[in-house]
Amino acid sequence: MTQKKNCVAMLLAGGQGSRLGILTRHVAKPAVPYGGKYRIIDFPLSNCANSGIDTVGVLTQYKPLELNSYIGSGAPWDLDISNGGVFVLPPYSKGEEGEWYKGTANAIYQNLSFISQYNPDYVLILSGDHIYKCDYAEMLSHHVSRGAALTVAVRQVPWEEASRFGLMNTDADGIITEFEEKPRNPKSNNASMGVYVFTWDKLRQYLESDEKNPKSSNDFGKNVIPAMLAAGERLAAYRFEGYWKDVGTIESLWAANMDLLMTPPPIDLHDRKWRIYARNVGEPPHYAAPQGEIRDSLVTEGCEVFGRVVHSVLSADVHIATGAQVVDSVVMPHAVIGKGAVIRRAIVAENAVIGEGALIGEETGDIAVVGSNTVVPAGASLKAGQQLGE
Amino acid sequence: MKQDIVGLIYTGERVDELQELTRYRAPAALPMVGRYRLIDFILSSMIHSGIKNIGIIMQKNYHSLMDHLGSGREWNLHGKRSGLTILPPYMSRENVGLYDGLLDALHTNIGFMRRSVERNIAVSDSNVLYQADFRDVLRQHLDTKADLTLVYTKDRNARRNGRGRYLLVEDRQVTRIEYDPTIPHFENTYVGAFVARRELLIDMVDRAVAAGQHHFARDMLSQMVAERVYRVGAYECPGRVWVVDSVQSYFQANMDFLNDAFRAQAFRDDQPVWTKLRDEMPARYIGDSKVSNALVADGCLIEGTVENSILFRGVVVKPGAVIRNSIVMQDAVISRGAEVENCILDKETTLRENVRLIAPRAYPIVVAKGLTI
Repeated sequence: MTQKKNCVAMLLAGGQGSRLGILTRHVAKPAVPYGGKYRIIDFPLSNCANSGIDTVGVLTQYKPLELNSYIGSGAPWDLDISNGGVFVLPPYSKGEEGEWYKGTANAIYQNLSFISQYNPDYVLILSGDHIYKCDYAEMLSHHVSRGAALTVAVRQVPWEEASRFGLMNTDADGIITEFEEKPRNPKSNNASMGVYVFTWDKLRQYLESDEKNPKSSNDFGKNVIPAMLAAGERLAAYRFEGYWKDVGTIESLWAANMDLLMTPPPIDLHDRKWRIYARNVGEPPHYAAPQGEIRDSLVTEGCEVFGRVVHSVLSADVHIATGAQVVDSVVMPHAVIGKGAVIRRAIVAENAVIGEGALIGEETGDIAVVGSNTVVPAGASLKAGQQLGE
Repeated sequence: MKQDIVGLIYTGERVDELQELTRYRAPAALPMVGRYRLIDFILSSMIHSGIKNIGIIMQKNYHSLMDHLGSGREWNLHGKRSGLTILPPYMSRENVGLYDGLLDALHTNIGFMRRSVERNIAVSDSNVLYQADFRDVLRQHLDTKADLTLVYTKDRNARRNGRGRYLLVEDRQVTRIEYDPTIPHFENTYVGAFVARRELLIDMVDRAVAAGQHHFARDMLSQMVAERVYRVGAYECPGRVWVVDSVQSYFQANMDFLNDAFRAQAFRDDQPVWTKLRDEMPARYIGDSKVSNALVADGCLIEGTVENSILFRGVVVKPGAVIRNSIVMQDAVISRGAEVENCILDKETTLRENVRLIAPRAYPIVVAKGLTI
């Protein structure tokens, strides 16, 4: 018998992240490395841990192996408890039925029985695509105090960009009056972050009716929220203020890494009251050799730097050989940069090996990408915006 | 693979020459190489040797060691078929609490040895940093039909005049043993680790104590070797061996890790050295940072100059600050324009702006935990 929970979190981690190109060819987007020692999913999981939410279902379906082993028992996020914890929830066959997750709402629908086990009062829906620090407990108490069926986290975006987002128009009390998906003439600039708190009964009710509608694409933004508004449910907006970055594209992933090199950085990962937890790799401190140079960079344990690193982010166990240069770039775990190679405005993925004297990326232009486990031959070159990898 | 060995680590070594560094901590808890404590190396070696059950004999000042080890989770020693057993000193009819050396400690913890189910036992001191695979030690121990096999090194770095245990080894057997000689005659230094059949060790310890012996090496081992009733084997430990028994040897052991070859010996890709986590962000370099020949842990913030030094987690180096040939422990702050050379700054020390603290190379200064200068 499982104990009742006040709030259960469901983390949507099944997206392919196709706009990340070769970076997500072998791993799901939430497992993509970020900020030296983290993976994207560390942010929502750490937010849960720091917000006191101890039961999290992680919905996976695309390339789940690396993500599954990364999550493991959930110990890095204190989610290895006996009543609750973290559960990886792939689609599974249910008697005659059984199918892939069709959309965000359908993914939760297929796991209603998982949520039922805990008979929660509230359900928090998260996605594994964003870099941000958010106190979900505060959002939950906002939801409770407004007496809402659903609370949508929103953030203010610049008016000129507002038409790219799903917008929540609200009254003076922050109650949502209208939802507009990518409108040409925006009436507000409150963009949905894809973070929802549902009252459990309402979630179940609307997911069950959504599932019965064959025309629905089973998506929270497109279908469930409009249906709830149409039915006259009370929907609240919770305004989030702080750093929030969608890292859905190569450019935005690169830019979000570069943000960490600003002084002061727009997101403080050094905050001891709100630590971002990550699985430990067991590496020694990084070594900076006499002939090396490191400036304006983040360097993670296990790195050995014999070359020059300027304005870059190095993940764990990266080796930069003598004479190599890494500028304005992101180097992911275990990559090796050979002697004299020059990396500029590039992302070098996990376990990639850059041959001696290779030239990756250019001083200006789009970001060049070397995929995971890719070996770039000595002397080869990759122009701005090009991607190389299996 | 599962090995039929239980591990036992003794942390009661004498500490007089470690000065301030061991005022509040056992030598086993000495911070090492930027993010570890000394005990992590022997603990990780035992784990990589397939040892699943490890007892740790605590003596004095063991609070920081207990805090470090916790439930043993970071070493994967928190299972049902594996585990970490903390063995603090306790008072009973037979003993008065504190141990007077390894033999007393073994005797007091004979219950742990009796309760263990493994056939063999590996015992190690904790103030030594070495890489031994106890599977190899056990293999040789069984091949040579020894009753007890001592691990030794030929590394001269481990020798001390007037102190230590030195072995004459012939055909993988110890034939003579020297205890605290003014100048050691034998080239082999006992590293303070051995393997034995568990029940035999229990029996030997019982008898030694009954005979009024107190000292493991001086009394019990010497007698075993001299009387030749038992076969005492000798296993040569490869590579560099660091004995951490003074401020100087502590300083040198850390500094040696700036050498690529020594790092390669201790940090193998397939055998990580596990330690307690702090979940710090990666080290940040800002502005005019200069770093040369340094080991820098996560959580550091470097805006100044760092040369030939080791920085533990969360050290802050302000603009214009200079650190040379020094060890700077966790959360220390070196303010603007301050300069340190040949120093060991313990945890949470602060150097105020423009303070210069320069020690002679051969005699590093220790700044005690929490001090502001």
